[in-house]
Amino acid sequence: MASSAPGQAAAPNGDSGHSSLRKQLDAARQELSDATGRGQGGRAALAQYADTIDGLVATLFTGALGDAPTAVVLALGGYGRRHLCLHSDVDLLVLFAGPLDASDEVRLGKFLHPLWDLGLVVGHQVRQLKDFTRIEADNPEFLLALLDARPIAGDRDLFDRFTATFHRAPLHAHLLDALLTLTDERHAPFNATFYQLEPDVKAAPGGLRDLAAVRAIARLTDPALLRQGPSDSARLDEAEEFLLRTRSILHLDSKRNQNVLSHAVQEKAAGLLTYPGALPQARVERLMGDYFRHARGVARWLEWIRRVAPVPVGPNLVKSADGVRFLDAGVAASHPDTWLSAFQAAIDCATAVSDDTLSSIQEHAERFTERDFLLDPTRRDAWLEFLKPRAGLYARLSQMHDSGLLGRILPEFGAITCRVVRDFYHKYTVDEHTLLAIRTVERLAAPPASPGPQPRERERFASLLLDLDRPELLVLALLLHDIGKARDEDHVSESVRLARGIFERLALPAEAREVVEFLIANHLQMSMIAFRRDTEDPETVRRFAALVGVEERLKMLCLLTLADVEAVSLETLTPWKEELLWRLYVDAYNQLTLGYGDELIDRSQSELAQFLAARHGDLTPEEISRFLEGLPRRYLRLFDREAIERHVRLARDIHPDTVHVSLEQKGSAWELTVVTMDKPFLFSNISGVLSSFGMDILRGHAMTSPNGLVLDIFQFTDSERFLELNPDARDEFVAVLDNVVSGLVDVTARLRGREQSLVHRRPPRVTPVVHCDNHASQRYTIVEIVADDALGLLYRISRVMSQQGCDVDLVLISTEGHKAIDVFHITQAGAKLSAAAQDALAARLQRLLEEDHEVD
Amino acid sequence: MKLIKCIVRPNKVDEVKDALSKLSVSGMTVTEVRGHGKQKGHTAIYRGKEYNVSLLPKMEIEVVVPDRLVHDCIKAVIEAARTGEIGDGRVFVMPVEQSYRIRTGERDID
Repeated sequence: MASSAPGQAAAPNGDSGHSSLRKQLDAARQELSDATGRGQGGRAALAQYADTIDGLVATLFTGALGDAPTAVVLALGGYGRRHLCLHSDVDLLVLFAGPLDASDEVRLGKFLHPLWDLGLVVGHQVRQLKDFTRIEADNPEFLLALLDARPIAGDRDLFDRFTATFHRAPLHAHLLDALLTLTDERHAPFNATFYQLEPDVKAAPGGLRDLAAVRAIARLTDPALLRQGPSDSARLDEAEEFLLRTRSILHLDSKRNQNVLSHAVQEKAAGLLTYPGALPQARVERLMGDYFRHARGVARWLEWIRRVAPVPVGPNLVKSADGVRFLDAGVAASHPDTWLSAFQAAIDCATAVSDDTLSSIQEHAERFTERDFLLDPTRRDAWLEFLKPRAGLYARLSQMHDSGLLGRILPEFGAITCRVVRDFYHKYTVDEHTLLAIRTVERLAAPPASPGPQPRERERFASLLLDLDRPELLVLALLLHDIGKARDEDHVSESVRLARGIFERLALPAEAREVVEFLIANHLQMSMIAFRRDTEDPETVRRFAALVGVEERLKMLCLLTLADVEAVSLETLTPWKEELLWRLYVDAYNQLTLGYGDELIDRSQSELAQFLAARHGDLTPEEISRFLEGLPRRYLRLFDREAIERHVRLARDIHPDTVHVSLEQKGSAWELTVVTMDKPFLFSNISGVLSSFGMDILRGHAMTSPNGLVLDIFQFTDSERFLELNPDARDEFVAVLDNVVSGLVDVTARLRGREQSLVHRRPPRVTPVVHCDNHASQRYTIVEIVADDALGLLYRISRVMSQQGCDVDLVLISTEGHKAIDVFHITQAGAKLSAAAQDALAARLQRLLEEDHEVD
Repeated sequence: MKLIKCIVRPNKVDEVKDALSKLSVSGMTVTEVRGHGKQKGHTAIYRGKEYNVSLLPKMEIEVVVPDRLVHDCIKAVIEAARTGEIGDGRVFVMPVEQSYRIRTGERDID
């Protein structure tokens, strides 16, 4: 197509309408050729030619698709800019509102065929609107051409919808990136210099594409840049006029889309552009002198704008040298719900929020109340997301506080601004103490590069932070732990009272509320016990463990205490105190994970009575008691009422060989709950089924009551999205689980294929640890295992235990990054293991973990 | 005059301080220290891994008292700091030759 010269093509299909179009086209081409011959084939002439093509396209489009089409035709790229040279491609996008049907295809043909018949070189794309909701990363040229999209005919509303869909910050950022890469690639064959003796006026450095790039960068980042720049923007216009006039001559002379100003054409071009001079050589020199002057101007602009252009980092947000700022401060001023995103973007880009943006926030913040900032669930989620501990959180929170925004979002925090509480210890105002405590957590998450590596003593606390499921709740608790100090009363209960109001505004889910409230209410407990109580007394530890209940809360309270104490003054948190804190943590952790099997729910407990009193109507006290009695008391701490009631229902009508299962999606993870009766190899079979589907088990609990009822809960990720993408996946999964548990299918065979593909994929990162303990529990031998997380690990470990004749009664499963930490409570013939049996089991497990993958 | 140096459990500091105050011992120095006595620390287990806690956190309380109070002070400290378990600590008594008040340059006489 590109080689067929327009004007020489056959007449379109003998249609009289089309022959009139042919006449219009020929006349327009003649007019452009004449102007080019006079050296005036510049912007005005090209725009006039583009207008004629617009007319043809509109006529044909309306003719083919009717007066009220559900489509719009857009001019793209150079044609969109109305810089259409004689042999330029006519780039079009036909955009439909929805999917195309067969009749649309026919109509499309009726529109496009005459254009081809007219001999135009049409580059066309056909899309539907929803194609633009996701970034099409593999076609940057097309996306960049869309920047100049201009509607010619069809549904204008559709064009407006396209504009709204297309012009989004993430896409702008992507386009900017793509544009810079393409520009570098385009410059490479020219050795990145504009001093070309035979320049390509379109592609060479300083040419028309560079000029378009300057404007595109301004459009994508800050249009006001075009009014600044290394020279007057009129210089750009002059350069454009010169380059287009020259390009028109090249097209006219070569009769094709040829853009190289070769030695052979330079003389003719100099003549047509009426450069003075007695000799051709003198005229050519003047022409090329002008060319280099313009190319230099364009190249400088491009170099400048690449250097100074802010990078789009979010809606109405850009990153410049002085930090993240609003592109349009006026728009931002009336949308306080968007302000948080400036701070979020600053953290993401490892920079600050710019001073002018802070001033603007400070100026307008007072016009709004706390409700205006947390308008909807998205904003509230964004607020919690913002609190995730990572580098820059303290600095951005401080900026937010200094600008008055933090105190507007959380007036309760605003009330402790510069609050002085006199005691012997605190060295900073209450607000700064709070922010410094958050800095301690931030530094655990992202240790500062200087002044040296994080001390080993801190790494152990950092590992707790890594393990937290929702570290942002720890930061929220820190932010609120001292807000009660605004009054002179008991600050802990006042902080809790105020925090409850904040939970309401944040619409925090009940589970998160409980955690944060627990942390605030108990924020002085751990330091008091660690530093002032006899922690060598097992009763002290037992009571403290009972207070925290579960490991997650223990870890959070430990970190909160560390941060709170450190933020009192530089001298408060001594290595001595750190050691005491850590020791209490370890003792309580061991109490929670190793000792919990001895504390069972029984009928006489008040917890059980309370639960029964508030039970849901369909549940009888008998079935609840039957289910709960004999399970570890820890169970009541781990799950909320709703979950426990679900488990009770799941346990209804359970018989040997029946398996009751529920499978739920929980955020990015899944949760499998299994209720059945105990039997040998049960735990390894269930974990084996999960692994055979490629599921990565993150955490879980397995519990067995003395009457043989088993409750296993696994949280896992499904990285292959098997469950999400396949409609029958759940049924298949449950069927396999049923068959494996009842012994109809051997899970080892199912697993073999998967494991072989994973064997030896990576070297071990964790030295495996197997530790047996016969003292921590009165009833169980406890096996603690720390190893590299690997597919099927739980299955293999528990299978070995079963093969050794052990009953797996209780299991705690957790994962920290790539490290699996599993605690098994086991028995052999109803009793703890003998020393010999322990040694034999430990040796087999150690060998298994060292061999990494053993399938037998 | 004697220097009485007590190594006690961290949670016993307040009780020791109170007991000494009752004897009108006003000045004291309290320091966070780490060490071990005969028990030589102990082994703790965290996540299946044993680690040796050889230096245990303790508090050191130093008081300088006139000779006539030494006996009562020792008795008070021992009573206050005792749990009966290993790791209760130690009391050391040392002679003090001279003592001066820096602000005035005045020398303490017993």
